[in-house]
Amino acid sequence: MIYEAVIGLEIHVELNCATKMFCDCPNIAGADANIHTCPICLWFPGAIPRFSEEALEKAELTSLGLNCKLQERSAFDQKVYYYPDLPKGYQLSQAHLPLARNGWLDITGENGESKRLRIRKIHMEEDVARLVHEIEGKAPISLVDFNRAGVPLVEIVTEPDMASPYEAMEFVRKLRTQIRYIGTAECSMEAGTMRVDANISLRPKSTNELNTKVEIKNMNSIKNLGDAIAYEINRQTACLSSGEPIVLHTRLWDAEKRVTVAMRAKFEGPCVPDPAVAHIVIDETWKNELLSRLPEMPGVKADRFGRQYKLSREDALTISAERDLSEYFEAVVKQNVSPRTAFHWLVAQLLPLLKERGQTVADTPVTSVRFSALLLILEKNEINANACREALKLMFESSLPPAEIIDRQGFRQVSDTQLIEITVNEVILTNSSAVSDFHNGADKAFGFLMGRAMQAMKGKGNPKLIKEVLEKKLRG
Amino acid sequence: MPTNDMLSYKNLSAKPSATGPLKGKSFLLPPNISVRNWPAQAGSKALEKFVALDDATTVDRLQKAGGHLVGYTRMNELGFGLAADQMAKALTSSLAEAALMIDMMGEARVTACRARLCAFKPTSGIVSRFGLIGLAPSLESVSVLAQNFEEIALIMSVIAGKDERDFSMDEGEIPNFQMSKEVTAVKTAGVIKECLELLDEGEKALFAQGLAKLKMAGFSIEEFSLPNFHLSGPVHQCVGSVEASSSCGKFDGVRYGHRCFQAKNWNEMYLKSRGESFDILLKAYLFQGAYFQFQNYDVFEKAGRIRARLIKDINILLDKCATLALPTLRRRFAEKPAAGSIAEIYEEFCLTLPANLLGMPVVSMPAIASDEKTDLGIQLLGKRLDDIRLLAAARQLSSLPKGENNK
Repeated sequence: MIYEAVIGLEIHVELNCATKMFCDCPNIAGADANIHTCPICLWFPGAIPRFSEEALEKAELTSLGLNCKLQERSAFDQKVYYYPDLPKGYQLSQAHLPLARNGWLDITGENGESKRLRIRKIHMEEDVARLVHEIEGKAPISLVDFNRAGVPLVEIVTEPDMASPYEAMEFVRKLRTQIRYIGTAECSMEAGTMRVDANISLRPKSTNELNTKVEIKNMNSIKNLGDAIAYEINRQTACLSSGEPIVLHTRLWDAEKRVTVAMRAKFEGPCVPDPAVAHIVIDETWKNELLSRLPEMPGVKADRFGRQYKLSREDALTISAERDLSEYFEAVVKQNVSPRTAFHWLVAQLLPLLKERGQTVADTPVTSVRFSALLLILEKNEINANACREALKLMFESSLPPAEIIDRQGFRQVSDTQLIEITVNEVILTNSSAVSDFHNGADKAFGFLMGRAMQAMKGKGNPKLIKEVLEKKLRG
Repeated sequence: MPTNDMLSYKNLSAKPSATGPLKGKSFLLPPNISVRNWPAQAGSKALEKFVALDDATTVDRLQKAGGHLVGYTRMNELGFGLAADQMAKALTSSLAEAALMIDMMGEARVTACRARLCAFKPTSGIVSRFGLIGLAPSLESVSVLAQNFEEIALIMSVIAGKDERDFSMDEGEIPNFQMSKEVTAVKTAGVIKECLELLDEGEKALFAQGLAKLKMAGFSIEEFSLPNFHLSGPVHQCVGSVEASSSCGKFDGVRYGHRCFQAKNWNEMYLKSRGESFDILLKAYLFQGAYFQFQNYDVFEKAGRIRARLIKDINILLDKCATLALPTLRRRFAEKPAAGSIAEIYEEFCLTLPANLLGMPVVSMPAIASDEKTDLGIQLLGKRLDDIRLLAAARQLSSLPKGENNK
């Protein structure tokens, strides 16, 4: 029998809030153990959670940015399980009344077709502490670091709409782009600020059955997610082919051995409404206020860039994939640089230089204002492309205005027709064999003479003018 | 630690010099209300060696208003039941003029009744719960025990009100207790038929005597039916045990409190610490809660629906009459608290717990439904946030000339 995969994802995204979800402790990773703790996140007797407005707003914006419907009323539940990483003995999460439902993202499928993948719900929850098990001498010791306890998360649960590792990976990429655009989270699987669990089941091809699923966890990159899903599909196919039943359980991805390993029976603790955190009520006014705060999302922006700036579809998608990049591009265009020049110089020249230097458009000294000033000089033909490239490199070292850098370096290009004519005449006189080659139909000879003329003017001659004059002289 | 058979901690520091409305007044607290640097161990091994890091908001406000804290009284584990509770005795022994208690099923009203004092449980959500080491957040409120309702109104005016450390408080306007002298007292009281049916003949007679005094004071009394009244106990028990089970999840020996050191690994340490932390009575209550959480969640959901229904029904009654009158205590518990099972404790509080379940304000008055031997106490239960009119009515009633039986 031929099987097809049914894949759903549960994605935990850590919101980039200044504080934890229910207290004022800073939300900073990488500090010494148990530094960022207080009586609330350590849940001392008498503590009461103080729900963070910022966490709520960021969760709301994330939901809207993923095309979800914010629910009029949502509430926190206690997800009860007893474990030392949970200071309360329960995790505050939203099981019964989630913040948002019914969203979607469109991805481009393997054959270039557009496919809409549905999001079932988005809910908020607090992160748990980190457990470290070590051996001290011969004795096992277990340590708990509560810095992460209470860090704000949203969990995004999809419908089982994905049919291949490719679609799952595309969904996560698209999700990451969207959320980074909204600016509410970093979404790095490598850094653990985005954690993706996948639920996978198989069914006979072209049926609508939903069979027993297996949950896989612990993938720390999008590639590993794809590989783990592919492995799991093969494993389950082998099971079914040999008549072995699929059992509901959780498996861990082993990135070294590139296999999934059975971890435990899937655990579902009870979820009890929490009596201490107030319900969240969202009215139309607030929803509209949030919508007005949402940035233009990448799909819409790419369409607009295509129309407004006459960029090709591909270029428009490239430049709108990241919010910072798209905003930088648009800032340059607003300074009257032509969109083509801006796009080309940004993508082909500036980005590689930034990458070499470990900078981004957001933090480079080559601000959009300075970059546009340089490109305007280029567009006025006052410098040529070579000089422009050199000046751009120097702009990383110097804070001088681009015009001044160009002047100091003597980059400004010569457009004095008289001077160019004198130079071209000299080149023609001193390179008679190339001139006769040209007249005998060797096109290469023109390039050679061009090069000589440029060289004679130390690279500063306006190539367009030199070309015109040379052509006139040779043909005239 | 300075203690005696009534107090688990005695405050030896000098009386505060703060001048305020409570200057010179002394208070007792149970050790489940946090006072900075005091052993707020709530009568439980789970909190052995624990010392409160901060003042509860109510404590902070009492002290800033000039109130003096005498000490912590001994209490039942985490406030479940009153068998070992010494508050009534300490107040009868005049260790202090007034007290605060966490009232989850009527503990403050019942204690006050036994000590022949007045008690008031405010509308839930108008007094901060910050610093309370309670069991069931949705059922409990800080309540006040004092000699009379003037005192209570004064203390309430100090402790009630918004607190930025407690986001779970009522969002509406909080009653202004300083106004309680100016408002017109309510003059109607409804009696619930199904409540009367619970009482034995002796209790009925005492309660009728109390109602007669209410009439003498100008109250009109009317009987109503509330068919689901008898469900308030089981619903309270289901909700209370579930919330208690959750509240006690924090006692695992990882961060504070009792830890078992005879364990092979973290898992065993965790299990043994929790196992050793609670006594049998509380453990049984927590198990009940865990049962509803893990095994029979449907029943918990039903309890929530019945609770909402009861609130609706009782509000309909309270639209017809401003207050509902009930005795505070059953006769068999008038002097001695229940010492045995959960069922017995629920019986002890069967008349007081509806106000907790429904979040309504309630006063308990001594020496009205009483004879020489027994004081059942009378409760007047009012509509949410109608605290001030209720206190005004209670004050008027307690200034009644005492009848023959109350000399």
